[in-house]
Amino acid sequence: MTVTDDCASCADERAAGAAFCENCGRALAGGAEPAAGTDCPACDSTGTVGADGYCGNCGMLAVRPRDHAEIDAGEVAGAATDRGLRHHRNEDAMWLATRGTDVDAVVCDGVSASFDPDVASEVAAEAAGKVLAAATGDLAEHVAAAITAAAEAVAALAGIGDPRRAASNPACTIVAACVRDERIAYGWVGDSRAYRIPPEGDAEQLTEDDSWATHAIAFGVEPQVAWNDPKAHAITAWLGADAGPVRPRTATLEGGQPGLLVLCSDGLWNYLTEPAAFAGTVRRAVREAPDLVSAARALTAFANEQGGADNTTVVLVPIN
Amino acid sequence: MAYTAEAFQNEFLALGATEVNAIVTVTSSGAEGGRRTAGATEIIIVDCSGSMQAEGRMVAARQAAKAAVNCIDDGVRFAIIAGVSTAQQLFPAPGQLAVATPEIRAQAVGAIDRLQANGGTAMGAWLKLAHQLFAQRPGDIQHAILLTDGENGEYRGYLENVLQEIGGSFTCDCRGIGTSWQVSELRKIATAMLGSVDIVARPQDLAAAFEQMMTAAMGKTSADVQLKVWTPVNSTVRFVKQVEPQVTDLTGKRTEDGPRAGRYPLGAWGSESRDYHVCIDVTAGAAGDEMLAARVSVVEGETVHAQCLVRAVWTDDAALSTRINRQVAHYTGQAELADAIQAGIEARKAGDDRTATLKFGRAAQLAHESGNKATEELLATVVEIEDAATGTVRLRRKVDAADEMALDTRSTKTVRVGRAQ
Repeated sequence: MTVTDDCASCADERAAGAAFCENCGRALAGGAEPAAGTDCPACDSTGTVGADGYCGNCGMLAVRPRDHAEIDAGEVAGAATDRGLRHHRNEDAMWLATRGTDVDAVVCDGVSASFDPDVASEVAAEAAGKVLAAATGDLAEHVAAAITAAAEAVAALAGIGDPRRAASNPACTIVAACVRDERIAYGWVGDSRAYRIPPEGDAEQLTEDDSWATHAIAFGVEPQVAWNDPKAHAITAWLGADAGPVRPRTATLEGGQPGLLVLCSDGLWNYLTEPAAFAGTVRRAVREAPDLVSAARALTAFANEQGGADNTTVVLVPIN
Repeated sequence: MAYTAEAFQNEFLALGATEVNAIVTVTSSGAEGGRRTAGATEIIIVDCSGSMQAEGRMVAARQAAKAAVNCIDDGVRFAIIAGVSTAQQLFPAPGQLAVATPEIRAQAVGAIDRLQANGGTAMGAWLKLAHQLFAQRPGDIQHAILLTDGENGEYRGYLENVLQEIGGSFTCDCRGIGTSWQVSELRKIATAMLGSVDIVARPQDLAAAFEQMMTAAMGKTSADVQLKVWTPVNSTVRFVKQVEPQVTDLTGKRTEDGPRAGRYPLGAWGSESRDYHVCIDVTAGAAGDEMLAARVSVVEGETVHAQCLVRAVWTDDAALSTRINRQVAHYTGQAELADAIQAGIEARKAGDDRTATLKFGRAAQLAHESGNKATEELLATVVEIEDAATGTVRLRRKVDAADEMALDTRSTKTVRVGRAQ
């Protein structure tokens, strides 16, 4: 493991190797916290950033931790999330915890049409991640329990905080995975995806989107027609107070198939809908980057080069 | 004193947009035990011009002044000014302030019986004397009631000069009795002195009006509360308006307070809640940029009681940037309502019935839409409202002068918007 520091936010000694502090849930690596008295990146004034993160001269918010965050778990896993170029904030959230070669990973994508979707994704990722930490035995069952815990946590948001949440409750997608030795389980709700990238050949999409396009294709609509429909990306299942009973779909992956497990939000896969292109781009990123976290960062940069129309989150976990 | 400040806005702006609007609700739970933190001084100014003899006005004025005196708390300093062509102090001795006790109040009531109507109207001189008396008690909550029944008789510009000199130094609630006084004149005083203006059409209602004003004044527990607005470089405050309980433009009352910040006087506060509309012009940011457009604080001297943030976030998501904030929309409508009524009254006086009909029509529509029943009823005394929803109205041939003055003085009264989004 390469991450061995104590938590900078709460000074708690976290479990060895965990990329998130077990006490306060903050990422141990990743986005910067706003620091009072630092220089403003927007207007170059010296020491003008206030305790609330806004510049005392130009008023610009100097640092937003979630605009770009990374988690470096060395050779075991790497993750990055980025606001992209078009959205005003990052509504994606991720969770990555490692212990030895065991990995818990979660990617959530807030539903923009809901109120406070960024809170929904953050709460869901944390709730699921904390449940995954205890996963042993039947891993798929634990993944289902993690997603159920995330669903309850997101649904509860509608009744607290800003009253506008009641009218348009916070909502998000989720894809979660846990790796224990050679056993892998994953589960999802919505259109955030898990892929397996073999050393050669096409990417294998492990998840099946809960989306209009997927349903239409299942009913016989030509994939090209379905994906070009304005409703293509409308999701048919999500986490939120209005989601009804959430039935997470889960599956396991047989060991002995070396490659790369990828969890990502649609900010990445939208630019790589062809399995061959997805696999090629991810393999190139991993090959050309010095480590996994750099590869994850390169993939978010790739999405931004393609237009950065959405928030992008990607988690890379080598498997064998 | 526990204050809260809360901003309501749609912080999302379309790319290139530079106008940031927010409604700031300031609420105070009042001082602990309802006690004043400073002393208080009250001055009652009664017009004693010759015309006050008519319609039993002087009798009503004496009763009203007595009623007001009886509402003054023990320990509060007070004085009574008899307004004629000069300002004459009726009680206590000239240049003095009385300290209220049951005995002193009884003496004051006795003195009020000596009020006689014979003289002119010199509002500038009356306010100047009040200002001199208040000057003995810096730091006190300072409140005056001014009652008149006619136009100011001082030479042109004198009252304006006095207001320029003493504006904002104390609060003055103005009441006009009968219909021979000028709404615009009393509004000028009330606006400069952060007070209210209203008509008391019937002399028999005067005592209740005075009692109500004095009771409200006794409920004030802080003397000089201010709204401090910080804005970033290259930004300007377009306006700061109180929008509830009534519309008052505070923009011109700004005093600078350090770099990029200014203070706007809010007057005396008790246990109450008021809404302010803050509008800031900023320079446009890029997609995803978030700017603090204003930091709004409720301050008293160097003490910051409460603070809230007005933000701007630029996005190319039209679903976000076109969202209409209910609070901002509601109070923008209430301010337009007040303007439409005042423009309608002006046009009617000038004989421009076409403009008057248009303005009153728009006013009827706005009052109806926003659920401002009181204003809609007042409008109905001046125009026949055929269809409030479309703003179809007809001017009434005969309009009672008192009704039109009531509509004019109360045009700035607003109703509060529901809090749900």
